[in-house]
Amino acid sequence: MKITGHHTLLLAAGLLAATAGGWAATIEGRVKLPKRETTTVVNKRYEIVSRGGVVSTNPPVAVVYLEGDFPPAKAEPMARVEQKDLMFVPQLLVVQTGTKVEFPNLDDTFHNIFSYSPAKRFDLGRYRTNEKPVPAVMFDTPGVVVLRCEIHEHMRGVILVLATPRFTVTDTEGRYRLEGLPAGTYRLKTWLDSQTTLERTVQLAADTSLRLDLP
Amino acid sequence: MKTRTGIIGATLAMALGSASPGQEALEQLSDRLNFHSRDGSMQLRLSGTIELEGYAISDPVADLVSGSADKFFNPRFGLYLDAQVGTRGYFFAQGRVDRGFDPYYPDKQTEARLDEYALRMELSEPGAGRLFLQLGKFATVVGNWTKRHAAWDNPFITAPLPYGNLTGVWDVFPVPSVDVLLAWAHVSPVGSAPAVLADKEFRLPVIWGPAYAQGVAVAGKWGRFEYAGELKAVGLSARPDRWGEGFSTMERPTMSARLGWRPGPSWNLGFSASTGEYLDRSDHPRIPTGLSRHDYRQTVLAHDLSYAWHHFQFWGEVYAARFEVPRVADVDTLAYYLEAKYRFTPQLSGAMRWNQQWFGEVTNQAGESRPAGRQTWRVDVAPTYRLTTQVQVKLQYSLQHDRPSRERYTQSLSAQLTVRF
Repeated sequence: MKITGHHTLLLAAGLLAATAGGWAATIEGRVKLPKRETTTVVNKRYEIVSRGGVVSTNPPVAVVYLEGDFPPAKAEPMARVEQKDLMFVPQLLVVQTGTKVEFPNLDDTFHNIFSYSPAKRFDLGRYRTNEKPVPAVMFDTPGVVVLRCEIHEHMRGVILVLATPRFTVTDTEGRYRLEGLPAGTYRLKTWLDSQTTLERTVQLAADTSLRLDLP
Repeated sequence: MKTRTGIIGATLAMALGSASPGQEALEQLSDRLNFHSRDGSMQLRLSGTIELEGYAISDPVADLVSGSADKFFNPRFGLYLDAQVGTRGYFFAQGRVDRGFDPYYPDKQTEARLDEYALRMELSEPGAGRLFLQLGKFATVVGNWTKRHAAWDNPFITAPLPYGNLTGVWDVFPVPSVDVLLAWAHVSPVGSAPAVLADKEFRLPVIWGPAYAQGVAVAGKWGRFEYAGELKAVGLSARPDRWGEGFSTMERPTMSARLGWRPGPSWNLGFSASTGEYLDRSDHPRIPTGLSRHDYRQTVLAHDLSYAWHHFQFWGEVYAARFEVPRVADVDTLAYYLEAKYRFTPQLSGAMRWNQQWFGEVTNQAGESRPAGRQTWRVDVAPTYRLTTQVQVKLQYSLQHDRPSRERYTQSLSAQLTVRF
């Protein structure tokens, strides 16, 4: 189910006259987060000598981002998702298209990270602690990429690939703040999970601060 | 036929549906099957698999697959429970609905079984070497195949040769003479295909699949070494309908152990040993005077090895087994397999396995020496395609050669669709 809403917010027109490309704007507010937080028992039926018992997903957070006409990144952005204590760290990573993400293994056992998501299908094969070069993947198509480990079926992570450099992840209370935004008209999107993205249009004038609670 | 097509169609529709929604539904179902106690001290997870298998086989059908038809369909539903109790306790169970533990001919009735259930407790303190105690009905600690025998993890549909190739040793009667042994092994006279099929329910392999027998196990880890020992009520070769038998003062348990060594993450080497009785618990009036069924023992020595690097995985095991037949002859056999798997793309992988088994010679009263079983080799090839993270399709072609045999080569083609949630 995809929830979309198109609402236009016109910021105070009587703001100080702004020159083109002038002072930056800010959007901040709070996202109403879903209450979902799952825990699961690790399957270790055939590994008597095992570790890990119950794993929990991190508390829900949302991603707030602006879509518009932004200049491309000057350098190839890099990011990393570690495998530590049989978990992805972070469990949610947001990157701009064209970002190369490294997947270092910090556990003393093999991991085998893969994704079948349409936005990026890959399989890194089995690799060990401190593998050199660090296995890495370029994410060049916007979309949701669900990460899994072939060996540890409870491991799950998400990379949200966005075609914009203007994004932020809320805190666990849903608070967010996007700053340093150029004036203009944008689509403001709020990603809650792989099935739910909220959308609205905002107009930003220079040197303004917009308070916007979502949805 | 309509029912079979309906089951396959419904499973595919559920699994794939309109691809993404089907996948989402399975993932949501998986997430919703997690439960916990109010204080969080106990967590439960239910999961399951639907396995649809089809077999096209030539006579005589090899291994533990039993089919009076040359083509048959074998559906299976598995339900799993994993429970974490506090920080040290773990309980798991596996229930299945199918037509027998091993693929069986279509006229066998559908049955529901509790194949596995076990409670595991960690005895060690954090930071020290790990030590676990496990009680229940569970897979053997011997070898390395049991860790990947489940349909989703196994690169093949059938088990390796040591886990299914039948010897001439029975568990319902002790071998009375070498000539009878050779007849039961279909070595002399060379058995026809119907004869090979007819006595399949009596013959034993070296180790029967994962050997989910009742027992108690202790396992641990110390540095790069892993160790495990188990006491089971029945032996490694015991058939599935004996796995539920418990300990009794009249019986002697089977003792098995494995010592493993991991020189690095890529390698895992292990040595296993097992000794126990192989005759079933009936009275066995044909046992010669002065002997009891406790004298009919099976002893197994095994070595296993595995290696993994990036998209390549390799496993190998060799089993040396002796079935003691007092006053007749010992039946010695050596079986091994080498198995490799390579992932070509994120969703497509292929595996190949070479299996071989030899038997030691026995001498009859006429002074003729012959191998105590058919010398066998088999090659298995199996591609696997994962449609989603919850659905995979596997094919397997096997070519087996037995000597002596009326049909020197037997073939089988099988397909398996697995949906998990």
